[in-house]
Amino acid sequence: MSSIWILPAEAISPQARIAAEDFLVAEAALLDDRRFDEWLQLFTDDLEYIVPTRTIRRRGNGSDVDWSSRHYDDNKASMSLRVRRLTETDVAWAEDPPSFTRRLISNYRYAAGPGETELTVKTNLLLFRSRGISGQHDLIAGERTDVLRLVEGRLKIAKRHVVLDQATLGTKNLGVFL
Amino acid sequence: MSHVTHPEKLYDRLRATVRPEEGAIPLFVYSDPEVYRLELERLFGRVWLFVAHESELEEEGAFVVRQMGEQSVIVARGDDGEIRTFLNACRHRGMKLTSEDCGVASMWRCPYHGFTFANYGNFMGTPFERAAYPPNGLDRERLRLIEARCESYAGLIFATWDKDGPSLPDFLGDLRWYLDIFAGRAQMELVGEAQRWIIPSSWKLPSENFASDAYHTATAHAFLARLGLVRGVDFGRDGYHVDAGGGHGLGMGVHDDRPGSWFPQELEPEYAAKLSPDQLALLHRVKNFHGNVFPNLSFLIPNFIPVDGQLVTGMMLRMWQPVGPDRLMAWSWFLVEKNAPAWWKEKGRRMYVQTFSSGGMFDQDDTENWEAQTEVANSALTRPDEVMLDYTMGLDATPLSDFPGPGDVYDGKFSEAAARSYYRTWLDLLLEEGR
Repeated sequence: MSSIWILPAEAISPQARIAAEDFLVAEAALLDDRRFDEWLQLFTDDLEYIVPTRTIRRRGNGSDVDWSSRHYDDNKASMSLRVRRLTETDVAWAEDPPSFTRRLISNYRYAAGPGETELTVKTNLLLFRSRGISGQHDLIAGERTDVLRLVEGRLKIAKRHVVLDQATLGTKNLGVFL
Repeated sequence: MSHVTHPEKLYDRLRATVRPEEGAIPLFVYSDPEVYRLELERLFGRVWLFVAHESELEEEGAFVVRQMGEQSVIVARGDDGEIRTFLNACRHRGMKLTSEDCGVASMWRCPYHGFTFANYGNFMGTPFERAAYPPNGLDRERLRLIEARCESYAGLIFATWDKDGPSLPDFLGDLRWYLDIFAGRAQMELVGEAQRWIIPSSWKLPSENFASDAYHTATAHAFLARLGLVRGVDFGRDGYHVDAGGGHGLGMGVHDDRPGSWFPQELEPEYAAKLSPDQLALLHRVKNFHGNVFPNLSFLIPNFIPVDGQLVTGMMLRMWQPVGPDRLMAWSWFLVEKNAPAWWKEKGRRMYVQTFSSGGMFDQDDTENWEAQTEVANSALTRPDEVMLDYTMGLDATPLSDFPGPGDVYDGKFSEAAARSYYRTWLDLLLEEGR
């Protein structure tokens, strides 16, 4: 018997939801604290990290998300290189001195799968970024779709897709992770 | 007609201080608002500007919306198969005819009063036309869309508002030989829509950088060597620096220590059919390639690096669109051989995104420099003295006499000859003086 109160999210246990939320909040803290080596450990080896571009289109003229053109098009190896650039060299100029960032993660929505030990979590991301002494800041907003996988008793991120809410990014580069 | 308040005073200052042949460029030209007004009028209002790639407009009625300077234009393939560029402005009240990035349309209907124009520019009519404009309606010919001259070279579509200026081949001049290698060596396609982002920088700084500056890589992009992806300074130095004339410039890195082409063997017949033997021989030596079509279209074959164990590169087209004296909108596209094997397209795209593009590990560092330079230029505008910058690298060097390609070609990429040529062309256009 169906009811308007039965939502797909009810298939996910409260424990799983709490675990996922705690995990993503802790992950955001690692990034804001610039603990990139630890952050990298949160990804599975088959990681897919994709940030598509947005375009301006009239309704009925196809999707405004263009998955063939990407701001990030990365896997574990390339994310490792990005992290090594930040942590092992003193010439990562775009983030040295680093930006101050604050990631707000909210509006959690859950779906089971796609794998047996996986959980799909959609969240809203609002990333505050300030650089230098100008008193200015950039806001980067988007929707994340993460596939979290249970690996040896721990959650890891197997997939992250971030659809940003600007057709032209207002921040001068995406030198900060989403 | 000039929009600048005291043009003569500005002209005198430019004449006195912009001295590219001596390797001297004044800081104020980077971001001075009056200089910028002149640029919009005399550069962006007159020279050939990149607007689209032919692969975006294969279908009849396909259109993209781009900018020429600050002006919005529609680039469209009409029902008659021809590609044209129109000012994105209704002839009735100047409203934008479309606010989309792209689409397919046989006509554009102005959202304000309904004036309608065919995708080949003709005025088609307006609602209740005979009642509003009795007895016979409006003159069709008079209300045709405002159209720029539009031509293409090696798949790259350019447009200009100058009805009497040089043809596109003449404008590109000696650069064509090199553009052939970059964009004309095979049938190319742009993959997807442009990435766009705003950089608080003068539009000239990145343009000049791509035209002329291989030297910065050793410092600004030192992470590459630090992480063992390239060997020391070689990747920035080994190769050629080209002043192609007309403000166009480029640098080419070569890998003579490791013979054999790094480009896909599958495409070799196509390359050989489209390039001269000299061009093909150079392509086989290329390990990176950077340049700028004057004034603001940069192109790049990033340094080959391994992606998942395979040595690849990912070609980029980049337009530095001005949005003010100290702000630009970057438009960035991935360009690839249409008939390339899947691995080259896939890994090349990832390589491009990871190194260049909004999140690219190279691009990030560049934006930091251009922003800070622009900030310094802005803050120096009120200084009583002139801050002169040093553009002397390679000033006394002699071009090679035996290089097969045209233009002034220098051995080794450490030179600022192309930047000097860039500012010479820029100055002549601003002052409306011949070289």
